[in-house]
Amino acid sequence: MLKEDLILKNPLRVLSPADQGKAVAPQMGLVMARAGLGKTAILVQIALDSMLRGNKVLHVSIGQTLEKTKIWYDDIFQDIAKGSNLENATDVQDEIAPQRMIMTFNEDTFSVAKLRERLNDLIEQDIFKPDCLLVDGFDCSSSPEEILTDMRALVKELGLNMWISVVTHREDGRMSDDGVPAPCHTASKLFDTIILLQPQKDTKSIALNIMKADAGAGLSGKSLNLDPATLMIIEG
Amino acid sequence: MQKDLTKMRNIGISAHIDSGKTTLTERVLFYTDRIHAIHEVRGKDGVGATMDSMELEKERGITIQSAATHCTWKNHSINIIDTPGHVDFTIEVERALRVLDGAVLILCSVGGVQSQSITVNRQMTRYKVPRVVFINKCDRTGANPDKVANQVREKLNLNAIMMQVPIGLEGDMKGVVDLVKMKAIYFEGDNGEKIREDVIPAELMDEVAEKREELLDAASMFSDELMEAVLEGEPSEEMIHDAVRKGTLALEMAPVFIGSAYKNKGVQSLLDAIISYMPNPMDIENIALDIDDEEKEIVLSSKIEDPLVCLAFKLEDGRYGQLTYIRNYQGSMKKGDTIVNSRTGKKVKIGRLVRMHADEMEEIEESGAGDIVALFGVDCASGDTFTSSDINYSMSSMHVPNSVISLAIIPVDNKAQVNMSKALNRFTKEDPTFRTFVDHETNETIISGMGELHLEVYIERMKREYNAEVQVGAPQVAYRETITQRAEFNYSHKKQTGGSGQFGRVAGYMEPLEEGEYEFVDNIVGGAIPREFISSCDKGFTKSLEKGSLADFPVTGVRCVINDGASHAVDSSDVAFQLAAIGAFKEGYQKAKPVLMEPIMKVAVEGPSEFQGSIMGSLNQRRGIIIGTLEEGDYTVVEAEVPLSEMFGYSTVLRSLTQGKAEFTMEFADYKQVPKSVADELIEDLRKKKKEQGK
Repeated sequence: MLKEDLILKNPLRVLSPADQGKAVAPQMGLVMARAGLGKTAILVQIALDSMLRGNKVLHVSIGQTLEKTKIWYDDIFQDIAKGSNLENATDVQDEIAPQRMIMTFNEDTFSVAKLRERLNDLIEQDIFKPDCLLVDGFDCSSSPEEILTDMRALVKELGLNMWISVVTHREDGRMSDDGVPAPCHTASKLFDTIILLQPQKDTKSIALNIMKADAGAGLSGKSLNLDPATLMIIEG
Repeated sequence: MQKDLTKMRNIGISAHIDSGKTTLTERVLFYTDRIHAIHEVRGKDGVGATMDSMELEKERGITIQSAATHCTWKNHSINIIDTPGHVDFTIEVERALRVLDGAVLILCSVGGVQSQSITVNRQMTRYKVPRVVFINKCDRTGANPDKVANQVREKLNLNAIMMQVPIGLEGDMKGVVDLVKMKAIYFEGDNGEKIREDVIPAELMDEVAEKREELLDAASMFSDELMEAVLEGEPSEEMIHDAVRKGTLALEMAPVFIGSAYKNKGVQSLLDAIISYMPNPMDIENIALDIDDEEKEIVLSSKIEDPLVCLAFKLEDGRYGQLTYIRNYQGSMKKGDTIVNSRTGKKVKIGRLVRMHADEMEEIEESGAGDIVALFGVDCASGDTFTSSDINYSMSSMHVPNSVISLAIIPVDNKAQVNMSKALNRFTKEDPTFRTFVDHETNETIISGMGELHLEVYIERMKREYNAEVQVGAPQVAYRETITQRAEFNYSHKKQTGGSGQFGRVAGYMEPLEEGEYEFVDNIVGGAIPREFISSCDKGFTKSLEKGSLADFPVTGVRCVINDGASHAVDSSDVAFQLAAIGAFKEGYQKAKPVLMEPIMKVAVEGPSEFQGSIMGSLNQRRGIIIGTLEEGDYTVVEAEVPLSEMFGYSTVLRSLTQGKAEFTMEFADYKQVPKSVADELIEDLRKKKKEQGK
C-alpha cells in the first residue's frame, strides 16, 4: 500500500474527510474513557493520520515521559505499516517525523496559561507551527467549563484543531442531557466531536461511541471499534 | 586455594559528571584504610584525588580513564572501577560495566536524574547490572532526596526504594536513619570515621514509619517468609536484607541510600549496602563462546579448578610498560603460567601479576575466578580473551559504537612525528572508539572518535605524555555515501598495449542494503566468470567502497550482485577482474542515485524553563528536529536530533544564551540523508578544495 491509500483507507475517514485540514479550524474533539481503555492510542492514531496528511502536530503529554510518548508513536506506526503492507515504511516514518513535536509536563505544573506561553514561543520564533494540538492526560475535573472555554479560546486564537482526552470515573454518575458523562457533562457544547470509549462485553471489543460529530463527517450508519489486542481503530 | 567468592564484590561507580563519583571513591578508600588522607578533586592542597591519576584529570577535575582499585571492608574484598562521567568517553563506561557484577549509581540530590545518568542507566540495563542508588551532595542547598528517588522511578524506570531517611538536609545534615535497623546513624570525628548509633529523633518518627512500611511492602514481593513475618509482627533484619538482595539481583529493585561524600556522611552505610545487596561473582551468569564448537554459548563456572577464562578490558601505558587490566571469570592464573590469547592464538607467559590501587600497585602471586587484576608486558588489544591452552573460548564481544567525528593532525617537527605515531599506536589499542589512519591524498594523519572532547583529550595526552606537539585541523564530520535505487552494470575491462593483455567483463546489479554495510552475492551460472576470479570481483567492489564518486566519502549500504560476465583464456587475471569490478561499480553507482549521509546526534539540553524558547531556537537554527520537551517545575529538558556538523562550538553558544545555566549532552543516534541544498554546498566546497590541492 502507498501512503496515499493509507490516508484514504484510514477508518478515521468516518470522522473527517481526507482533505480536511486547518481550513476548518478551530475544531475541538474530545475522547473520553475510563482509565486504561486506550485514549492515548486513539490520540496517537489521530495524530499520525494528521501527520500523513501533511499537518504539523503538537502532542502535549501530561504526566507521561517523553520517551514513553515517543514509543507510542513508534509502536502504532509500526502496527499501521505492518497491517497495511505500507511500502517504504521507514522512509515514510522519517518523512513525517519532523511534523511532530512532543511537550511533556508534570501534572501539577500544567496550565492553559503555560501552554499558551509555550505555544506562542514556538510560533513567534518560527520553531514549530502546529496545525493540530493533542492534549493527553489532562485533568480538568475541578472546573471543566472554565478550563475548556479557555482552551477553546486558545485554539481559536491560533487557528488550530485540537483533540483532548479526558478520564471518566465509574463512580461519578453525573451526565448531560445528551448523555455526555462527567467531568465534561457541562462542557459538551464546546466540542465539535465527542467520542466515548465503551467496552462491549459480548464482542470483547471496545466501541467508539461517537456522541457528537462534525457536520462534515460521513457517519451514515458506520461505526468504529478499538481492537483490544492491538489498540488499533477498526471499522464496523 | 579457592577464595570465598561470596566475600568478593566487583563494583562500578557510575554517574553524571560532577555528581561526585571521584569524591565518593576517595572516601571509600579512606574508610577502608587504603589511603591515609583525603584529597579533594579540586582541593587546595594540589594533590588531587587518588583515583584521578592522570595529570590531565587532576587539572580538569574530571575522570578520563577508569582506574581500578581494590579495598577490603568488613572481611569482604571489593574491586572498584571508577568510570568517567562524560558521554564522549562512554566506551570506558561500557567496558567497565561489562566486567562488573554490580554498580552504584550516583545522583546529585539537587540535579537529580540528568541526561547522562539516563545514558549510563541504559548501558547498565544492556549489561544487566544490578544497581544501588546513592543520592549524594545532600549538604547542598536545595537537596531533595525524595524528589530524586521519584525521578529514578519515572525517568530510569527503576523500582527505587528508600533504605534511609535523612536527619536534616542541606547545611544541617547530621546523619541518616537506617530503615532496616531502625536506628539513627551519625558520622562523627574529623573525617566522619566514627559511627554512632542512637535512637531515632522523635520528630522523624512519622516519616520513618511511613518509609519503613514502603520498604517492607516492596521487599516482601521477593520473599514469602518476609511477607509472613510482616503480617505477624516484626521481621528480622536478616529477612529484610535477604529480600532486598533478591529483588536487587533480579534487577527488580534499586535500594536508595543518601549522604554527602564531601561532608563524610553516609559512605560507610553505602559500603555495608554493597556487601549486603550487590552480587558476588557467583550470582552472575557469565557466558563465553566456544570457538571450536560453532560459537556455542558456554556458561562459565567461577570455579578455580576449571580451565582459565579471562577478559582484557583495559590497557594502560604505565611507567613500567603496558599494563593490562583483566577480569578473571573462571579458573586461576599464577605468575609463570602460559595463557593463550584466543583472538590471535598467541601464547603468553605471565611475568608480573598485580592488584591495582589507582596508580600504585601491589604484587600478587595468583589470581582466581572473580578477581580483577592487572598483567604486565602482555601484548594484546582491549577486549581480548585469554584462556588456558586446553580450551578455545571467547567472551562475547563488546558493543563498540561508530566514530562520528574526525580531525587532521600534523606534527610540528620530526621528533613530534615519531612520538605521535607511538602515542597513536598506544591510544588505538587502549580505546576501540579512537581510530587513526593516513589520508593518502593529503598525506595527513586523521584521528576519529566519539566527540570533540574525546579527541581533544587525546591531543592533550599526546602533548603531555608523549611530548608530541601537533597542529590540529578543523573537525570533520564522518559523512558517508549510499545508493537509493537499484541499478544495473555491465562493464568490460580491456587492455592490449604490449605484453600480456588484460580482459574481464562483469555484469549484474547493485541495490540498497537495508542493514549492514556491504554484501556481495555471486549469482553466476555456467562459469561465465571462472570460479577463481569471483573473489577478485568482490575485492574490486570492496575497493570501490572506500571512496564514493559523489564526494569521496566511504560508501555503505550496498549489495552487489553479479550474474554474468566473460573471460579470456590468456588475458584474464585477478587484476583484470578487480579492475573490471571497479569499472562496473562506477558505472552502476552513477545510475543508483547516490546520496550523502551524515551522522545525526541525539542532543539533550537541560536548563531553567525561562530559557526553553531560546534553547529550542538555537537547536532549530542548527537544522535540528525538536523531538520534544520535558518540563518539570522550573527545569526543562529539550530533546532534539541535530546533525553533528551543526553542533561544533555549541557549548559556547549555549553558555552565552543561557548565562551558563544550561548544559547539554549528545550521543550518536543514526546516519541520515543530508538535505539536497546542504549536500550540494558540501560537494561544491570539496571540489574547490581538491582544485586548490591540485594546484
